[in-house]
Parts: sequence; structure tokens; C-alpha cells
Amino acid sequence: MTLEPSRPEAPQRLRLLSSALLAALVLSSCAAAGSNSGSDPGREFADFGEVLEEADGQTVDLWMYGGDEQGNAYVDETLVPAAEEFGVTLRRVPVANTPDALNRVLNELQAGREDGSVDLVWVNGANFSTGRQAEAWRCNWTGLLPNMAYTDPNDPLLTTDFGTPVDGCEAAWHNAQFTYFYNSETLPEPPTSLEGILDWAEANPGRFTYPAPPDFTGSVFLREVMLSTAGGADEVPLTYSEEAFDNHAPAALDALSDLAPSLWREGNTYPRDEQALNSLFADGEVDIAMTYGPARLTELVASGALPDSTKVLTLDEGSVGNASFLAIPVNAADAAGAMTVANLALSPEQQSAKADPGVWGQFTVLDMDRLDSDQQSLFTQLPESPVVPSYEELSRNAHAELGADWVTELDDAWRRSVATAP
Amino acid sequence: MSERLPERASRRALLMAAPAVLPVIVVLAGALFAGLLQSLGLMPFTGEPQLSFDAWTTGSGEILQAAGISLYIAAASTTLSVVMGFMIAAYILAMPISGRVIAGLSAATIPIPHLIAAGTFGLLLSDAGFLARVLGMPEEFPTFVGGPWWGAAILEYGWKESAFVALVVVGSISRRVGDLCDAASTLGASPRQRILNVVLPLALPSLGISAIIVFVYTLGSYEAVWLLGPISPEPLPVRAVRLFGSVDLAARPDAMATALASVAVGVVAILAGLLVLRRFKGLR
Repeated sequence: MTLEPSRPEAPQRLRLLSSALLAALVLSSCAAAGSNSGSDPGREFADFGEVLEEADGQTVDLWMYGGDEQGNAYVDETLVPAAEEFGVTLRRVPVANTPDALNRVLNELQAGREDGSVDLVWVNGANFSTGRQAEAWRCNWTGLLPNMAYTDPNDPLLTTDFGTPVDGCEAAWHNAQFTYFYNSETLPEPPTSLEGILDWAEANPGRFTYPAPPDFTGSVFLREVMLSTAGGADEVPLTYSEEAFDNHAPAALDALSDLAPSLWREGNTYPRDEQALNSLFADGEVDIAMTYGPARLTELVASGALPDSTKVLTLDEGSVGNASFLAIPVNAADAAGAMTVANLALSPEQQSAKADPGVWGQFTVLDMDRLDSDQQSLFTQLPESPVVPSYEELSRNAHAELGADWVTELDDAWRRSVATAP
Repeated sequence: MSERLPERASRRALLMAAPAVLPVIVVLAGALFAGLLQSLGLMPFTGEPQLSFDAWTTGSGEILQAAGISLYIAAASTTLSVVMGFMIAAYILAMPISGRVIAGLSAATIPIPHLIAAGTFGLLLSDAGFLARVLGMPEEFPTFVGGPWWGAAILEYGWKESAFVALVVVGSISRRVGDLCDAASTLGASPRQRILNVVLPLALPSLGISAIIVFVYTLGSYEAVWLLGPISPEPLPVRAVRLFGSVDLAARPDAMATALASVAVGVVAILAGLLVLRRFKGLR
């Protein structure tokens, strides 16, 4: 343990320092030599023909949340083969959280890498707005996509994303509706409003909880509680301001702090994410759970991951809805291939295949009035889910997402007040 | 080992180690320097670099609290690992045949990734987990997972690191300990006396070194405390990773300040540990 080589003399130390610098230079030049993409990442395209031409032979890395097995299967088994017909090799890169993908892009940008390893990201909300703030997304490209013609250009879900203008910086992929579900065996008569859910939770200690923000699902629940305590979605301005926050956030945080002792584990801790909440629900520890991906419920019940008695709970006041998108980082090495995939993902064939509850069950972003009858029949002949009601029913009285700044501020306030309360 | 090597040999040793050591130093120093710049707002994603100590000052309360929690987890895990590790080592040395089985099991524990081990402990120890069901006591079962004392995380560390400690101890003393134990038993020492008066003193240096390694590892380790600990409050690594992955770009300096704080605590722990070891050697 005492093997201690004698210290080098001063000149030798200098020599060591210079060789260290040399090593650093060699290392960094290796990194630069690693770039071997044939195309110019920043290239602008005049029309979609040019995009297709350049896309042929490209390999597109689609970074997406990997915790949804049906989503993974849809991409691998349906979208990948379809992309191959355009000469595009689509690779799915699973991430635990979308911020991981965004962080990769930001780190590569900060390091000055121009042939980014991320070509396409499944994104929306705060991740999109943060990326825009850092100018990390390629913009004004969705106008090139022929299949954008099937969407309604005035659909508010598709023109703004959590209050951030989309501005052609991301192409719509699917619609989602925040949904509660309950165990009809242990809870035969569920409440019908969010206020009712909170009252019920207080009256039934230990039978309810929600994922801890900043988890995506828990964060949505927190905003829904704020809209509920404010007296409805119309009461809270979509754009964040300190004044609006001071007006509305304290009531929600107080309500959740007051509720905490009645939650699972007396609110001393919270499930980490939606999966953790689902396993509490499946183990019969809680009676109500929630998700922003109601599409998955069909498969979760069919596979036995959730009990057969799982039923969807639609609230009188409706719930929040959003769209999610595919965005291309500004330094993507294979941007043309990424655009080809985004266009393909918007085709009626792909959108209807994805809407099949047996495949993924994601609600389409296409406007039915813009499809011809053959294309419409692709959607009308889809089987119905035994668990999840139609999008029309789920999205009744739906309201829009609050601006992205609300998300981080509320999450932070929750951590400081509700989570750390004694 | 303590004799001084001739000048030339030491120079050659230094040169031979250089290809391995230099990249490590360059990368480490570069990363720490970049982290420091980011924590001071000098490497922002957007806008002009502006020197700011906000991440260090406004976050200091939370960083201190997180450091306290990390120190608690590391101290508890290290104590558990060292005590259990020494007991395993003593058993391996005392029992020629069944000890070999235990040694094999301990060695098999080491390549299991901490994340897998943490997931397994979660399934085993959670409220409605395997153990609670087997024992048929979901109501009274203690809250190891997500509980206020990081019980499941400390047990996970204790399980994996005690095997590490045991193998280090066995490897370093197995040659010498046999003869000495034989001598002691001929002189009439009981098994208990042999363990406490022969094996333990011999094992102390390797126990000390492996304790420092375990302490610093558990101080900076992320997976087990993240997966098995409560949501709040959080230890240093969990806070650093959460802030680093935040969608709020302004949180990056806070993440770097937290990460650097954990580096600082780790360095202090290593230095303190080495100091104690050196003093202890002097006493001997």
C-alpha cells in the first residue's frame, strides 16, 4: 500500500504537462474525425421530392419513451417496414424519459457536434418549449410534408403545444386525453369529478395517490387539481405569469398538502411514475389511477397487468388533452430521412394502423373531413376497445394544456411544499 | 514494500502508467472544470455567459441537506458492509469446505449490476412485495422501500458490498492467517479468541481500505437510492441527476453545483479515511 514512486523533477513535470496537452489534442481530433455523414445536416429543401431523394439510404434514429411496449411494437413492426420502402432505415432508440433525448441533443449542440446522433424525437410540452428556447429544433419543415394536408391547419391542438406555437418545428403524431381509471370491484360507485375524487380520497385513507411530479403523469395531475380548485379550466390563464401563479397555485398546493395524510403511505412518499402507480393499482393498494395514454389500457387489461375490473372514469368537467409530435433536432445527421418518417407517420394508413386498440390505440390527429371515403373507412372499421371509450367520449368538455412555464414552476413548488411537508 | 525504489525504475514505472493515467486525468480535470463553469453560469445553453453564484448560494440549504442524507446512507451502508463482510470472511477462512461455497456465492454477487440488485430488492421488500406476501403481513410489514430511512437501499448496498469486503479481506490475509490460527489454537485459543485476536487485527488494513472504497461508492451511487428511496428529501446524486435532466435549462447550474458538492464530500471522505489509516498504522 505504500508503493510511492518518487516525484518527478521539475523539467520532467513540464514534459508530462506537455504530453498531457498533446493527449488532449489527439483525443479531441479523434472525436472530430468520427463524423462521417455524407449529407449536410443544415441543408434546406425546396420540395418533398428533394427530401425523398436525399432520404434514400439514410438511417434515422427515433428517440422515444421506451416504457410503452405497444408503442415499441408498433414502431418496430409497422413503421419500420413502411420506412424501408423509402430506403430509410428507422432505428428506435428507447429512453426512460423524453428529457433524456433532449439532453442528448443539447449536450451535442453544446459540444459543437454538427452530425447529431438524434434524428427524430417523440416530444411535446415542456420538452418542446425548452428545445425551442435553446434553438435545438429544426423549424419550418412540416409545410413540406404532403400528408400535412390531412390535418386541420386551424386545429388548436396542433398549432400550439402547451402554449408554445408549433411554427412548423414538429409534426403531429397523435392525440392524447388525460384519463382516470378505477377498479369497479372495490369501488362500485366512483366519484364523477376531480373534486369528488379528492373528497373520496380523504374519506378513504390510503386508497389513493398520484405519481410524484416532475413525473409526466403526476405533473399533469397537479395542474388538473389547480384547475379544479380554481373553479374550472377557464379561470386560469394559459400563459404563465407570477401573478396568475400566486392567484391559483397556493390553493392547489394547500389542497394536496391537506390531502397528503389521507393518501397511500400517509403521503410520506409517492409512487415514482405511472408504472409505479399502476403496480399499486394492480396490487389492490389503491382504487383509482390515471394516465395520459388511455390507449394502453386495452392491452394492460388484456395481458393481466391491470385487473379485469378496470374501468375508465370520465369526469363531468372533462380533462386535459394534448397532441404529441415528432421533432427534428437542428443538428440531426439524417434530417431528410426524419422528414420522410414524419410524413409517413401522418399517412392515413399508418394513423389508422396505430389507432387499432390491438396495435397501439393512439388517437389520430387527422381531420376525417379531409379524407376520402376509402381512407375514412380505414378508421370506421377499427375494432372497439372493451375498456377505453371513443376519443369523442373521452375528450368531451376537454380543455387545453397550460403554458409550458406553468409545468416547471408548479412541479418545483410541489416538491418544496407538498413533498417535504412533515 | 516501503523501501524507496531507485530513481530510474520509478521513472520507468511512471512512463508505463502514463498511457492509462493521462487520459483519466485529462478527462477528469476537463469534466470537473466544465462542471464548475456550468455551475457558475459561464457555460449556458442560451444567452450570454454571466458569472453567478446563485446555484451555490440559493441552493446551499438543499445541498447541505442532501449531503447530510448522502453521508448517512454511505455511513450506514459502509458499517453494514464491513461488519457483514468481516463475518463472511471469518467464516470462509474458518470452514474449509462450506466456506468455499460461501466464497463462490460472494464472488457471484459481485458482477450483478446495482440497478438489477436494486430492482430485485424492490420486488422483495416493497409493501405488497414478495416477502410481505410470503410472511402474510402486508399491514405490519415495515416500509423498507420508499421509507424515511432508506432501509431497502442500505440493505441492497450492504448485500453487494459485504461480498466485496469479504473477498478483499480473504484475498489479503488468507496466506498468513492459517499458520497463525494454527499456532493460536495449539496455545489453547478458542475460536472466538482466534477471530477477535488473530483474524481481526490482520484484517484491519484491508477492512479500512475497502471501507473507504465502499463509503465513497455508496456516497456517489445513484440507482439504488433513486429506485428504493423516498421522493423527498433526496441525497446528492439523486438531486444532481434530477436537476441535470430537468426540462428547465436554468436548473443546469444547480445540477453541476450538486455534483461538485458530492465530489468534494467524496474527496474529504477519502482524505479523512487515509489519514485515519495512516495514524492507525503508526500506532501499530
